Amino acid sequence: MIQKERTYFQPHSAEEAVNIAHKHENESCFIAGGTDVMVNKFQGNNEFSCFIDITGISEMKQISVQDNYLKIGSLVTLDNITKHTQIKNNFPLLIQAANAIASPVIRKTATVGGNLLCENRCVYYNQSTWWREAVGHCLKCDGDICIATGGKKNCFSKFVSDLAVALICMDSNIEVVEHGGSYIAPLENLYSGDGVNPHKLKKSTLIKYIHIPLQQDFRFAFKKLRQRESMEFSSLTTAVTRNKHGKIKIVLGGVDPRPVVVEGTHGNNEQDLIKQAVKKTRIVDNDVFSRQYRKDMISVFLNQSFQEIAV
Amino acid sequence: MRPINIKINGRKYKLLVDDHELLSNVIRNKIGLTGTKIGCEQGSCGACTVLVNENPTLSCITPALRCNNTEILTIEALAKDGELHHLQQKFVEKGAIQCGFCTPGMVITALDFVNNNPDPSVEEIKGALSGNLCRCTGYKKIIEAVAEFIKESNQITEGSYNEQQKNGKTNESFGAIGKGRPYIEAEKKVKGTAEYADDIAVRNALHCKFLRSIYPHAKIESIDISEALKLDGVHYISTGKELPVKFGVLPISQDETAMAVDKVRYIGEIVAAVAADTEEIAAEACNRIKVGYKPIKEFVEIDDSINDIGNYEKIHDHTKFNNNIHKKAELRFGDQQQGLKNSFAISKMSFTFEGISHGFTEPHAATAWWDENGLTIITATQVPHYLHRALAKVMEVPLSRVRVIKPYVGGGFGGKSDPFPHEVIIAHLARKTGRPVRVRFSREEVFLTNHGRHPSKMTVEMGLAEDGTFNALDADIAIDGGAYGSFGVVTSYYNGVLLQAPYKLSNFGFKTYRVYTNKPQCGAMRGHGAVNSRFAVETLIDDLAHQLKMDPCEIRLKNFLDSNTLTVGQYRITSNGSRESLQKVMEQSEWKSRFGKLEYGHGIGVGCGFFISGSALPIIWNELPQSVVHLKVDFDGRVVITSGASDIGQGSDTMLAMIVSEVLGISMDKVFVLAADTLLTPVDMGSYSSRVTFMAGNAAKMAAENLKKEITEAIVKKRGIAETELNFSDNCVVSNDKEVNLSWIEAIDILTANRGAVSVSGKYISPKLGGDFKGAGAGLSPSYSFGACIAEVKVNLETGFVKVLHVWGAHDCGKAINPLAVQGQLEGSWHMGIGQAMSEQMRYHNGLLLNNNFLDYRIPTSLDTPDIHTNIIETNDPEGPFGAKECGEGALHPVMPAIGNAIYNAVGVRITNLPISAEEILKKMKEKNKYQQV
Repeated sequence: MIQKERTYFQPHSAEEAVNIAHKHENESCFIAGGTDVMVNKFQGNNEFSCFIDITGISEMKQISVQDNYLKIGSLVTLDNITKHTQIKNNFPLLIQAANAIASPVIRKTATVGGNLLCENRCVYYNQSTWWREAVGHCLKCDGDICIATGGKKNCFSKFVSDLAVALICMDSNIEVVEHGGSYIAPLENLYSGDGVNPHKLKKSTLIKYIHIPLQQDFRFAFKKLRQRESMEFSSLTTAVTRNKHGKIKIVLGGVDPRPVVVEGTHGNNEQDLIKQAVKKTRIVDNDVFSRQYRKDMISVFLNQSFQEIAV
Repeated sequence: MRPINIKINGRKYKLLVDDHELLSNVIRNKIGLTGTKIGCEQGSCGACTVLVNENPTLSCITPALRCNNTEILTIEALAKDGELHHLQQKFVEKGAIQCGFCTPGMVITALDFVNNNPDPSVEEIKGALSGNLCRCTGYKKIIEAVAEFIKESNQITEGSYNEQQKNGKTNESFGAIGKGRPYIEAEKKVKGTAEYADDIAVRNALHCKFLRSIYPHAKIESIDISEALKLDGVHYISTGKELPVKFGVLPISQDETAMAVDKVRYIGEIVAAVAADTEEIAAEACNRIKVGYKPIKEFVEIDDSINDIGNYEKIHDHTKFNNNIHKKAELRFGDQQQGLKNSFAISKMSFTFEGISHGFTEPHAATAWWDENGLTIITATQVPHYLHRALAKVMEVPLSRVRVIKPYVGGGFGGKSDPFPHEVIIAHLARKTGRPVRVRFSREEVFLTNHGRHPSKMTVEMGLAEDGTFNALDADIAIDGGAYGSFGVVTSYYNGVLLQAPYKLSNFGFKTYRVYTNKPQCGAMRGHGAVNSRFAVETLIDDLAHQLKMDPCEIRLKNFLDSNTLTVGQYRITSNGSRESLQKVMEQSEWKSRFGKLEYGHGIGVGCGFFISGSALPIIWNELPQSVVHLKVDFDGRVVITSGASDIGQGSDTMLAMIVSEVLGISMDKVFVLAADTLLTPVDMGSYSSRVTFMAGNAAKMAAENLKKEITEAIVKKRGIAETELNFSDNCVVSNDKEVNLSWIEAIDILTANRGAVSVSGKYISPKLGGDFKGAGAGLSPSYSFGACIAEVKVNLETGFVKVLHVWGAHDCGKAINPLAVQGQLEGSWHMGIGQAMSEQMRYHNGLLLNNNFLDYRIPTSLDTPDIHTNIIETNDPEGPFGAKECGEGALHPVMPAIGNAIYNAVGVRITNLPISAEEILKKMKEKNKYQQV
């Protein structure tokens, strides 16, 4: 036959899903909304023979309050995020971020967890198998060099989850399930910074919930650089928050293989924080906007953001 | 394979599906509901949207197994008991449907939105539709349809609506010229039952896939197909040597073979083709073909190709010199140098323009087979006639053995106006296998096939007398043709010659080089040839007006050509609505009170343009008329219009029906259009150069008048009255004294008595026009359209981002036969121009196209489209049918410079490179040191 046998599982609990994944460790991939996975599959970037469709796990579609956290199931769709009253009231930053993602029809299918685990992107990677052969395979598809940088040995594919930018800015945690247990960890720790394997999770580990701390009274600003007002993945996403204790947090997306995070307090010099953020990015020319422009826009966006959150 | 149970449109299905099969495949290929369209296969166009358990879902990226035990609703289920859904009816009425390919997905998305949002704002409607791309309408009429649906739903009950609907049944109305009406096929399109090339199932067909080159320029040293042939289900594998005959749309550029022979000239060129039982097998067979390439020096930029190339190998050996120049076009009138010397003010600038894709939503698709009648091919084409000729040539069969059928076509814009390799190859594979062979392109393949607008570089200089009259214009242009000729020779001329209007010019000259490069070929695209150079000239005019401190509208008004005049290159200008167009948009935009009075960062700008109404010279020089239309009427009173004209969504079938209905005074339900089938329909050159309304329209009018004459003669003979006394109207033929008062069917009874069905014919042949110098034929047209745009923009002073707020457009189309369709054409043209100005470009990496999908090739979404204010200007052209001339392309020209000039007005930065770059604007603003002052 042409290919190895393709399989498709539809588990009904997180534990069942994780067990299946564990059993098919190197050949399986979770699929939620599928708006990223299926496109990568079409392009030949996702060659897993086994899909584990987790959309039948109803407990992961709930939004509830637990202790001092809002607990969002990772299977909640982006569209449902934007319509949820409690989120509207407490975390308008999350609504802005969700609305900045893809298009309305995609948001009706795409999930929170899927967005957090959206594959890093690069113009030399998000292409068909034929195309990648024509360009000469890059690091992210088993090649030897990075094409975007003209030969570097590191992959600088862009981290593009707008939702993660917002959630990290609000000190969110993720609750993950893996074979034989579960744990809670800061969302920020999920991202490795390696463009080839940008997520630290094992392929058999599932994000079950996202926990956002309540009663932080975040003031915030969110911005996204993109050419069109719909559809686009980020060329630069910035979020800035200040909580009731005066803690300032800057998170950037689209300018590094992982979210760039800078923290400060109310007393800090804002320009210093902005400089720190710019310095931490690793932007390369893998986008329609030039490296320099994206870099320049970080300061512009962050300055605007600080003005917006000023009391 | 696994079993699933699904309910689609109320009917239960139990099906076996592959574990990773897509829902779109189940709906289209297993159930056979082809109303759900495939435009991108990556969830970025929205054409495949269906409702799964009432949730809008992109079926092209949804696994079928996920939909087990769900209820799915596709476009086919919206109409109930023979009545359209009210929302569908609004799409029809409002003219929100052109090519119709995006329509099913758009309607489904809109339906979900209106069901959940009883009272949305226009901005919310725009937002809701922003995941569904439309390339035809500019979204304006779609948004209007949705808004009106909501308004009416909130006002009236369903019952009273259905009453209204019955009263307003569109096909019983009279095709009165000048009264807007939906396309005759609009209902079919909105129901999802109009069949496009890939929707037509031909039994027992094989599937074709192509192996494409991964090198821009390389010798083919070997092709080993042995491993591929071993695969079960592979029927035939063909390579370039089997199809050595060259073809091309222009007789002077027959430079392309169906597949690469001996060497490849661009990344993406077809090297081998497989016919197999399934697409999957064909694709896998392509993977197993081993090609030995020897890369040679590639030429990917204009500058590489224009200069002497030393010892390297040329892209084509037929070019004259030791470079890759394909065509040099040059014409000079008067003395440009002297004219510039005598000028009071001079403006000279250099411009660059990136390549542009047509972006039609329907990917190319075709099916071909051979039988006792020779070759038949059903294909998405704008030019059945030229394809007919190319197939006969390459297949080496007489013209009488080829039949080309154009089904509904999902947009073209020039991108389906060449004979294509895939059409030739499947004809060949069908002959070799004795089976029908079908092919459909991925979106990536559509981009690689290209034929889009040429990337261009130009330096243009213009001089002005002290009183503001234009003294001289000189343009030095280079265009990047890619690997093959296509329409390129014409494009080369059009870049220059189409600058000789709409203004009076005495010293005018240009030189254009078209070069071959190792990239996908460029060709004709909406506004063919003159779009980029028009941008340059309108920018210079703006600069000159600025230098003279004149109002840029006034300077244009001062220099417009008059009606009934000749241009410097001897174009015969008949009707000319330049002045009315510009005055209209000035008035509507409140130009006088706003220009120069807006705050920094906020600006308005103007641009004008003109275009041909069909090329006066046919592409292939012969004495055939450019259009012929046949009419046949039989005992049933139905008039069958037979025309080779290709409706690709612009509404030409409706135009033909309206003209015949008008001349004969009969209602539209008595007219039937049979079009674009080269076995059945007379030759028409096709849908390009904005020729169809003018030429096929005139042929239809003549045919209808001939039929009227036949009827009149029959009645005169039978009733013994004077023929001048007969009036044809309201489905009756009546004499002035009412002595003769015949219903249409009674009149037809008289006509067909002892004779039977009557056939008549009409034709159009362009008058002899133009000068007798070499190159005089380029851009000659029996009539020209004119237009103007004013754009309003805001520039973000910190990011350089431009937001287009308004476009006011006016276009002289002579006479709007169908104003609804004319508005649609204008709005679509302006939208496409906005795309080229703001976000669209084909980006390459060493000849490899970087953005070959709808996510990275950025056609403006509904949210990126400004408020468009549409004005039709009518000047009643003396030779157009009922005074009509073109409206499908010319409107694109003025919008881009209007935006560029508005940006200058806003922030003092000249736009000389398209697409407009926020980064560049910001940089130039900083250079001007204005940035800090504000």
